[in-house]
Amino acid sequence: MGKKFERTQIIIGFILFMAFLISIPFFASDYWMTLLVLILIYTVYASGWNLFSGLTGYTNFGLAWFIGISGYLSSILIADYQWFWLLAWPMGGLLVSILSMGVGYILLRIKGVYFAISMVALTEGTRELFGTGYLEPITHGGKGIPFVAGIRLPTLYWSILFLAFATVFICYKITSSRFGLRLVAIREDEQAAETLGIHTTKEKIIAFALSAFLVGLGGAIHCTYQNYIDPNYAFNIQLTLTPIVMTLFGGIGTVFGPVLGATLFTFIHEILWAELTLLYMAIFGAILMILILFFPQGLLGWMKEKGILPKIRKI
Amino acid sequence: MKPCWSIILEDKNILVDEGKVEIKRDNLLFIEGLVSGYGKMEILHGVSLSVGKGEIVGLIGPNGAGKSTVLKAVGGLLKITSGKVVFLGEEITNHPPYQIVEKGMAFNPQGRVVFPEMTVQEHLDLGAWTIKERKQKEEALERVYQLFPWLREKRKRRAAQMSGGEQQMLSLARAMMIQPKLLLLDEPSLGLSPKWVQTVFEKIVEIKNSGIPCLIVEQKAAMILEYSDYGYVLEMGKNRFEGKGHDLLQNPDVRRLYLGG
Repeated sequence: MGKKFERTQIIIGFILFMAFLISIPFFASDYWMTLLVLILIYTVYASGWNLFSGLTGYTNFGLAWFIGISGYLSSILIADYQWFWLLAWPMGGLLVSILSMGVGYILLRIKGVYFAISMVALTEGTRELFGTGYLEPITHGGKGIPFVAGIRLPTLYWSILFLAFATVFICYKITSSRFGLRLVAIREDEQAAETLGIHTTKEKIIAFALSAFLVGLGGAIHCTYQNYIDPNYAFNIQLTLTPIVMTLFGGIGTVFGPVLGATLFTFIHEILWAELTLLYMAIFGAILMILILFFPQGLLGWMKEKGILPKIRKI
Repeated sequence: MKPCWSIILEDKNILVDEGKVEIKRDNLLFIEGLVSGYGKMEILHGVSLSVGKGEIVGLIGPNGAGKSTVLKAVGGLLKITSGKVVFLGEEITNHPPYQIVEKGMAFNPQGRVVFPEMTVQEHLDLGAWTIKERKQKEEALERVYQLFPWLREKRKRRAAQMSGGEQQMLSLARAMMIQPKLLLLDEPSLGLSPKWVQTVFEKIVEIKNSGIPCLIVEQKAAMILEYSDYGYVLEMGKNRFEGKGHDLLQNPDVRRLYLGG
């Protein structure tokens, strides 16, 4: 009885929270909406990164590659071929998810730091390539593509809200599924997972491609939101590092850790940047070091450890 | 030209019961001239052995003889450079592990490999994941709970909260979820208290009695030979002795070299 009651409470609370988020464009200022759009974009990045890296233990330093590839395709479709934004975004996600299967097939056999470095190399290489004259007829080279997608801020906000919700929901479903269990088994002991008959390469590639699709969609929306794309911006290492730090901050391998991380991180960033423009990077660094020292499992991991939250993977 | 393994076969010692010329065994698993190792380092230089129906087969030998390597190569975790592995009449040499598991060979790796954050139930789910049908899965679960009744009460318990012996039993139970036709065990006694070693071995005999043969690699040579129907002694990646479990136990050479006098 008690448990059922609790469940209803959670569902009601969730519906109210979603209703509040959906209604925000009707009363909030553009400043707040912009901030929320950023939080939601980074929620998608962090959750998408966590979906693969948090569950399988393969640290992916190629998030910017997902974002850049998808951002480029969708931006080119919108700018040069006048595609409707809602159709252009999934194309970007699909392209990067298909490409990532090929990349994963080759790179997901190497482990640890080698995989991480390979992904950085891939990102940097692609960034260089997109800026060169060879691809200029398609990518417009280093000068980038300014474009207008004809989407209003509230519509963009609702789109990214929907994507963020879908991403977290997918992460939740996967974490509590058998597929998620197999991924965690790979993370804990890949050889043992193999002895159980798990086709580890296949499972890793599926998770990698799914992560690429979600992050790619986020990247496409991000570029549309910026109305601009160029190689240095789209394949920027910051786009890889920030979501990773957010995930570590919130709790790696948890479902809601990346959400919490992205939200708090963006807020702290915003406040520090506005109030202490000159010092903010230094203070930010100090906060990060403290967090890594005292909360190595992230905020959510810490709360689970202390018994504030139940120790289940579904959270 | 003779293949290299036949030369090795010639100088190994087969202990034969007095009066009988040959021990007749039907082969469920049959390994011939296995050459394998880690990368360029060759560990096995031609190992041959077989496991018959309803048998416990012990594989012993000094450290570094390649006992675990045999299991890993058979289970598909290491590349086999020469020789062949035949399981249920089908050659499975160099097949990937997931195919070998699907054929019904379960592998319990060394060092009670459990996943600390997962519950007992989740371990068993994971073990049964190659089974597609829900009903079959439930039957498998029921059978494993019958074999390990105490796991049922602890099914919500996470592996991290369990003792070493319990973890080994959980690992064994997980391997049993595919309803194997053969069970490979890599040092099931490793790091366990004498009481737990006893319990684990009794469980293995129970598994064997239910019709599932086991190929067991063990450091505790005297103990495993006592339980084994047949045994093999490896040395430097080659067969050295083989014979019925108690024959090996009684053999003076085996005793002197491997059982400590």
